[in-house]
Amino acid sequence: MKRLAFVLGLLVLAAGSVLFVTRPVGLPEDSSPAHQVDLANGERIFYAGGCTSCHASVDSEPDSLELGGGLEMETPFGVFRVPNISPHAEAGIGQWTMLDFVNAMLLGTSPDGRHYYPAFPYASYSRMSFGDLIDLKFYLDTLPQSDNQPAGHSLKFPFNIRAGLGVWKLFNLKPEYVVTVPEGDLLLQRGRYLVEGPGHCGECHTARDWTGGMDLDRWLAGGPNPEGEGKVPNISPHIDGLKTWEAGDIEYYLESGFTPDYDSVGGSMVKVQENMARLPAEDRAAIAAYLKSIPALGSSGSD
Amino acid sequence: MSRVLVPVVFSSLLISGLAFAGSDAIKQRQELMEETRDAAKVIGGMLRQKQPFDAAAAMAGLQVWKKTAMEAGDLFPEGSESGHDTEAKAEIWTDREGFNQKLTDFGTAVDAAIAANPDSLEALGAAAQPVFKTCKGCHEGYRVEKEE
Repeated sequence: MKRLAFVLGLLVLAAGSVLFVTRPVGLPEDSSPAHQVDLANGERIFYAGGCTSCHASVDSEPDSLELGGGLEMETPFGVFRVPNISPHAEAGIGQWTMLDFVNAMLLGTSPDGRHYYPAFPYASYSRMSFGDLIDLKFYLDTLPQSDNQPAGHSLKFPFNIRAGLGVWKLFNLKPEYVVTVPEGDLLLQRGRYLVEGPGHCGECHTARDWTGGMDLDRWLAGGPNPEGEGKVPNISPHIDGLKTWEAGDIEYYLESGFTPDYDSVGGSMVKVQENMARLPAEDRAAIAAYLKSIPALGSSGSD
Repeated sequence: MSRVLVPVVFSSLLISGLAFAGSDAIKQRQELMEETRDAAKVIGGMLRQKQPFDAAAAMAGLQVWKKTAMEAGDLFPEGSESGHDTEAKAEIWTDREGFNQKLTDFGTAVDAAIAANPDSLEALGAAAQPVFKTCKGCHEGYRVEKEE
């Protein structure tokens, strides 16, 4: 009996330590650097991130900038309901401080100190720069308000326990870059930042491992469609991916929605492509250069 | 033939007939899409200046698109929802009205392009770009992404 109590006590202590170590954290109050706000850059980052693809009000017109949320994402874990991130004070994020916003984007921590689910792709956003986040928040504040209040997520056990997400973060929240690029190559550095950070391309184009995080050894080599039937293509420079595409073909695809064979963009990539088309041409060129430079990986996972 | 056998034979004929019509439709629409894409490659190649402008070839391409706009709607009958690696999504049958609207948008843009009768690269761009923009109308919500 004593031994059982001892073992149970140890387990409770171990669980408590894990929860403590993996508790939601935020940055210190004085983290925000001096920064000259640039709204045009905020808009650029907004399109690089494709915020509207998920957060646009479900009943809004195409191209609407009202981010009232409400989209339901059916996943193996249950149904995620996309929140309102319009500047509405109660229903949206209008009352968030800059630090609240930065903590959400970089650390996946909510203003009331809870873990966000990684359906919100902060594992990618964690690579974003403080300055871009400040500009983005100021830009979001200029968009229309929505009083829509989507219901919460409906997730299956054990995924409905938010505290468990701390363990997920331990494995998967890695703000360092995935691919090494030459120090002085500004084009590749820009491309890497856009793809690995705000663009969050890896969230769909990289297969996930047993922890439910992106398998960085399969970086951008494609995978099953997280939203249902079909596949997400390999976009590494392997023969299974974009090997036969020139950098100019990738730029043209992101601008126009057509592959070199004149197949058209489809599925959820349509909204991504339309956002990418709004970026300056130099950003599409940077993305193309980066995608041509990363390790070539086959889709089957054999190499 | 017995009273039992006749209905059995007839219904099995009917079922195989439907199945045949289904697989036939899938093949036909896949071929039609290939032609559509080949035409896009010709016109797009001119616009990207990978090949010289040729007014007759461009018009031939626009006429292929016209054919697609006229015929595609009939190539998704009941019974052709699956098989032959079809990339057609169930939404074509559950939201036929939405699908037809997207197809109509394509057809309207094609008609305007043909009416413009483009005789220069600039005119072709102005005529064809609105058509290119409608391709993803169907491919966004009514096609499964399978290809690499």
